[in-house]
Amino acid sequence: MGIIELDKIYTAYEGGDKPVIRGLSLSVNPGEYVVIGGPNSAGKTTLLESINGLIRITHGSATVCGLDLLRSGNEVRRKVGYVVQNFYFDPFTPFTVEQVVMMGRYGRLGLLRRPSKSDFKAAQKAMRLVGIEDLAEKTIGTLSGGQQQKTMIAHNIAKEPEVMMLDEPFSNLDFHAREYLQGIFKEIVRSRTPILMVSHAFDGLPNTRIHLVVMNKGQITYDDECDAEEVEPIIRKECAVD
Amino acid sequence: MLGFLIENNVVCHAVEAMVFASIACSILGVIISRMNLSSIGFTMSHAAFAGAAIGMFLDIRAQIAAIFFSLGVAALIGPVNDKAKMAADATLGVLFAMSMAVAIFLISYLQCTGRGLTAGNLLFGNVVSLYREEIYALAAVSALTIIFVLVFFKEISAIMFNMKIAEASGVRVKLIYYILLFIVAISVSLTINIVGGLLIFVLLVTPASIASQFCFNVKSMFVVAPLVALSVSAFGVWAGFKFALPIAPLVALLLTGVFAVSVILSFKRRINYRKD
Repeated sequence: MGIIELDKIYTAYEGGDKPVIRGLSLSVNPGEYVVIGGPNSAGKTTLLESINGLIRITHGSATVCGLDLLRSGNEVRRKVGYVVQNFYFDPFTPFTVEQVVMMGRYGRLGLLRRPSKSDFKAAQKAMRLVGIEDLAEKTIGTLSGGQQQKTMIAHNIAKEPEVMMLDEPFSNLDFHAREYLQGIFKEIVRSRTPILMVSHAFDGLPNTRIHLVVMNKGQITYDDECDAEEVEPIIRKECAVD
Repeated sequence: MLGFLIENNVVCHAVEAMVFASIACSILGVIISRMNLSSIGFTMSHAAFAGAAIGMFLDIRAQIAAIFFSLGVAALIGPVNDKAKMAADATLGVLFAMSMAVAIFLISYLQCTGRGLTAGNLLFGNVVSLYREEIYALAAVSALTIIFVLVFFKEISAIMFNMKIAEASGVRVKLIYYILLFIVAISVSLTINIVGGLLIFVLLVTPASIASQFCFNVKSMFVVAPLVALSVSAFGVWAGFKFALPIAPLVALLLTGVFAVSVILSFKRRINYRKD
């Protein structure tokens, strides 16, 4: 059984006239690098937010990290890292990079427990890994978009998740930063933590087998393994873009 | 409690009430300002106002009715937000209008039936004639607020940073949000007839805004905001008695003055003109 098991799920936004995801099934195993592609409004972000229980599943069954997602949404979120697509931090946000990275641990710590030495160590390690340790004392609102994105990635690495989900993680990053982070993601996958990444940037994908999922109109139209260089051509073909 | 410092009993009670109200409201203010929920002070103070009017209509103690009605409104904010998928400020606006309508309807009705009711105390407060029990209640609310922040500091700071990111991290966002609303409701309804609806709103918003002009992190905001609020309030009470001025509006004006000065002096928005 995979670490993520979705069986014919439907999800809908309140007020929406039809479900965004329709009868979708997906299985993800530990150590897989999953790339989710497809055109705009295919339901890629909705899929990620359904997997961590932020959007309600209306039909079907879902198990994530061995937990029934429909019953234990918050427990799932404590184990799943999720780098959101859109964020804006105003310049006077009173939180430093170090504090924001540390917040990644708060969910898994649970109520009433204070961060211990090991939590601070995990946050320091995540900042070092992503290369933002020199920004630790800076307030997040004063950073560039790319630095903020790295901070949010470090926030989720500090969490030491059992599944890592990334929604357009490279949207604000230069080529050098993309390649550097891809190296980190490769290491995460090597440690058996699966990565699910929604992206439109396929340069610099790691030289491992990729589990490619292509979505269209709320359904999966391609779900198979391929090599990194095959990702873009397959997505183009599935989405009839040429 | 401050009897060893201030001999006059009336002044002493007024200072104590203002200090405790300042601590509770300004600490809560740091949270709600950051969450863009400043209008919660406005809504809750009018809910307490409506509750007091209901109490008078039903011939029960106004303050008890104010507390229960405020708690009822606080209990509605979260679920209405969730259900209607509206911005929190819109929900607060709807509940404010409802509270105001209930209050005005009942006050008009009571006046028509010859049962007079003055709204003056509820809007501007009355710190001069306080019972000891009211001061104890305010002290308890201050203590409850401080304990809430200390116990749930990590969850509160995560929610203040970004609610969606906090929820995605597995923080129990709804639980903390509902506890926050509950504490705001109790604080506002207990303080309304002491400091008045106007000053509650000022105490919820202005000290936090002053602290945000100088503080780079949220911990220091939780210290600076109550220190500013209680210093200005205590001075306002002293000046009010000394020069026979209305205390609540005076404190509101003093805090606004401090805010204006802090905006001018703030170094957070300073532009660096150095070339290296």
